Amino acid sequence: MASMEKRLQKELQALTKDPPKGVRVSPDGTCRTLSEWIVDLDGAPGTLYEGEHFQLQFKFSSRYPFDSPQVTFIGTNIPLHPHVYSNGHICLSILTEDWSPALSVQSVCLSIISMLSSCTEKKRPPDNSFYVKTCSKNPKKTRWWYHDDSV
Amino acid sequence: MSASNETQGAEGGADEPPQPDNTFYECNICFDTAKDPIVSMCGHLFCWPCLHRWLETRPNRQVCPVCKAGIGKEKVIPIYGRGSTNQQDPREKLPPRPQGQRSEPETQGGFPGFGFSDGGFHMSFGIGAFPFGIFASTFNFNDGRPGPPEAGSPQHTEEMFLSKVFLWVAILFIFWLLVA
Repeated sequence: MASMEKRLQKELQALTKDPPKGVRVSPDGTCRTLSEWIVDLDGAPGTLYEGEHFQLQFKFSSRYPFDSPQVTFIGTNIPLHPHVYSNGHICLSILTEDWSPALSVQSVCLSIISMLSSCTEKKRPPDNSFYVKTCSKNPKKTRWWYHDDSV
Repeated sequence: MSASNETQGAEGGADEPPQPDNTFYECNICFDTAKDPIVSMCGHLFCWPCLHRWLETRPNRQVCPVCKAGIGKEKVIPIYGRGSTNQQDPREKLPPRPQGQRSEPETQGGFPGFGFSDGGFHMSFGIGAFPFGIFASTFNFNDGRPGPPEAGSPQHTEEMFLSKVFLWVAILFIFWLLVA
């Protein structure tokens, strides 16, 4: 527990002080508790999401960083992307089986911006309506099947 | 004032330690200065307790958290600084904990699907007190049973023949038991 708090404190400090372009720790979400963050993302310029703003919610378990965080899009603008479901769940391998404790909130945010940036057609995943009806609230409980590396 | 002095002054004035020096010797897992440091074959620095915990988290897929190269207890090198008094290998300080063991649930005897589950279903074969059986039938004293028929009668010869046959069967059986 202590190691999780120490590391999150460090990450929060670094991300607040020196954030990468298009990533900001949301001032309204993070103050309440260290185990739940809200991060504002900007669509990268020159991509389909230019000018759009998104919000990511991070939830950390006490086993972080050995256990991956729960990451979902929240708010009114959920990006229209073949790997993002309309309830905000993201199909991204580093959030489950390819997670590594060397990854951080910052690297996850950059991966998601990169995933959005390589999109060529704004559309929902083909099984969106079925998944949204049947899935668990926690995206980590979904048995994701990573088969499409193109986007 | 030389250029280097100016740089130093600028750093001191910024009131913060320079970033690169600060993070260079940090563990890639806890993001803190590496404690009991070890370095992987691929060159990545970790605290041994942190890496050990990661290796325990995924025992069947042990990869470097940074570059996903193969990694393991035997594939890391401990680092000893000059000032360290305790030159014990950090890998020995934290003995790998015994792994949790998962035993199979106890199954009830019998065939649960066929209604035998309550008492079990037993079948046994046995030869009880085997050699005494022979004696009992060979040396049977008068115990209410009809006595042997008179010698010479056909019934007597028949019984003698049967008795010999059974004796030989028993001897063969004992011989087979000894040989087998």
